[in-house]
Amino acid sequence: MLSRISVICFAASYGVTLALEVTRLLFRSGVRGALMLGFAGAGLVAHSIFLGYRWLETPPGATPLSNAMDWCLVAAWVLVVFYLYVMCYHPRTSIGLFILPLALALIGVARFVAKYRPFPREAHSKVWGLIHAGSILLGSVAVLIGFASGLMYLRQARRLKHKLSPRKGLRLPSLEWLQKTNSRTLTLALLMIGLGILSGIMLNAANYGGPSGWLPWDDPVVLSTAMMFGWLFVWTAIGMAYRPAREGRRVAYHTLVSFLFLALVLAMVLSGMTQHGGVRQ
Amino acid sequence: MNLQVVGCSHHDTPIAVRERLAFSADQTRSALRQYREEFPAMEAALLSTCNRVEFYTASEHAPCPAAPQIAEFLARFHGLEPATIAEHLRLRAGEEAARHLFTVAASLDSMVVGEPQILSQVKLAYQLAGEEGSTGPLLHAAFQAAMRAAKRVAGETSIQQRRVSIPSVAVADFAQQIFERFDDKHTLVIGAGEMAEETLQYLKDQGSRNVTVVNRSPDRAADLARRWGGRTRPWEDLLAAVADADLVISTTGAQEPIVTLQQFLAIERTRPARPLFILDLAVPRDFEPAIGDRPEVYLYSVDDLREACEGNRRLRDKELPAALRIVQQETDRFMADLHHRTSGPIIRRLKEGWEKPKEEELRRLLNKLPDLDDRSKAEIREAFDRLINKLLHPPLESLRDESRHGIPSALVDALARLFRLKD
Repeated sequence: MLSRISVICFAASYGVTLALEVTRLLFRSGVRGALMLGFAGAGLVAHSIFLGYRWLETPPGATPLSNAMDWCLVAAWVLVVFYLYVMCYHPRTSIGLFILPLALALIGVARFVAKYRPFPREAHSKVWGLIHAGSILLGSVAVLIGFASGLMYLRQARRLKHKLSPRKGLRLPSLEWLQKTNSRTLTLALLMIGLGILSGIMLNAANYGGPSGWLPWDDPVVLSTAMMFGWLFVWTAIGMAYRPAREGRRVAYHTLVSFLFLALVLAMVLSGMTQHGGVRQ
Repeated sequence: MNLQVVGCSHHDTPIAVRERLAFSADQTRSALRQYREEFPAMEAALLSTCNRVEFYTASEHAPCPAAPQIAEFLARFHGLEPATIAEHLRLRAGEEAARHLFTVAASLDSMVVGEPQILSQVKLAYQLAGEEGSTGPLLHAAFQAAMRAAKRVAGETSIQQRRVSIPSVAVADFAQQIFERFDDKHTLVIGAGEMAEETLQYLKDQGSRNVTVVNRSPDRAADLARRWGGRTRPWEDLLAAVADADLVISTTGAQEPIVTLQQFLAIERTRPARPLFILDLAVPRDFEPAIGDRPEVYLYSVDDLREACEGNRRLRDKELPAALRIVQQETDRFMADLHHRTSGPIIRRLKEGWEKPKEEELRRLLNKLPDLDDRSKAEIREAFDRLINKLLHPPLESLRDESRHGIPSALVDALARLFRLKD
């Protein structure tokens, strides 16, 4: 029975959780928090089982979860884990309004790229491939969380600057928490994307002359990822040297631009203009 | 079943009288002990806050002492003339007393409706009474129901989230939205106004510890710093103190701004990139309004917060009927349970009266069927029990229904006569 769990099952659970988050804006309820945790938790369990089956169904010799669909689903899984973690510490905040749409969008992209071929892997490049995929995944999730917390920061800062009372139902974490989250996700994104690029270079070198061929350095995905890393690196360096760059609002804008670079990378992958990670069947 | 409360509150009793009647925790214990010595059959609890002094008494069988007796007891405890306090004490009995306790616990009777401290004060009164052994089944039930009502009001309405005093709005709706924690933040108080102290109280409740006071009068600064466990800095260090602060509360009587934009720009460069919350409670204002446009600065004046307070007051008033409805529902539920208790003995006798023939019939049947195994015997016994329960269900439900409208004396009487139930 567990093997019959589909993407729709956990996507629906997250969708219901998001709908419950939206109802916070409309009315109060004593049981909604428990319902939201229940639906999100059930969705996460189904999501984990689904990924577990995908792992077990990996053909002998192949790398588990090594295709575009699984990559998106694992990224969405990490986002939902982050959402549940925050909900335990800030149960009254509407963080789900910002995180869950990103998780659902990743699940939607996963459905779109379901027909993509698995990432090519040769035995000698397997380790570099895993490091490359894992670090890029964590870096991308960090950028997504930074984007969500950046949006929340700007919304919260705008309200506080305009001296408006908190809107009924839309409670956000404090500026201090959001600013810390922004800074930490940017640092994590810089490190992980940097490691991803480095491992990507090693992977490409290992694949040189192999059956998969090697990826040209001017591939759109490589270029846009390098641009995102460059942006993260330059801004982090400026922030270390120049005090105003560390101000909460500027850091929040930084996270939004980082998200645009990530969206550009994803657009390149979806458009099929790249040889990175295999091609559509 | 008797429940009553005798007491006074901020609604109709001057603070001078309330002060004389107030009880510390130790006095509360002592008063409860004395009361139990005088009225051993009575349950009692004493709620004493700065806004009210209320003496709750209850008894399952004996009538509660009359209001003059309670007044005499309270006056004697404090060494007062009963006549000086009797006119301020109000008696509420039965349902009115229960509703009053629930309304108080839900913070709907407070001076600032929705203030959260009253529930912990009610809990403390209940705890002290419990520790002194002066609570019994009635007060246990009443205080438990009061806490349930308060929890429902807090959970199902936003009445307790709507602050209406300027310092409470400043802390709850703004400072707490800027800072995650306060124990590592530096609070600077400029001047020594009353509202600054009230704000400090709210900040202290949130964990604020590091307080600096700057005042033109060093003596007043030292006095305020001593009361709040802070330190002082000379007036000449004002700008440096602002640069070091995370939260600034300003309440001077200066006629001109004490911090201009130019002065702030000079110190801004020395501050790390972190938010600065400025609560300017002075009129005229102490901080030039343009400072509020600087990045990371959140500047609030009395007028800014007054608008938020008024908005909260309107929203809270809209929620008040829903909160009162919850209190009424809980009162009805409590009273129904209370009335239902009076039918306890008749229910017990009814069950006992049916239990005897059941056992006799079972014994006869089992004697006639000696070959039955243990499992079959247990099945038959269970069937008999189910039958008795089903037969008893309608009269018990009728009793419960009738309890919603008062003590079901007529029905209890009818049941006693119908089934010949005798004491």
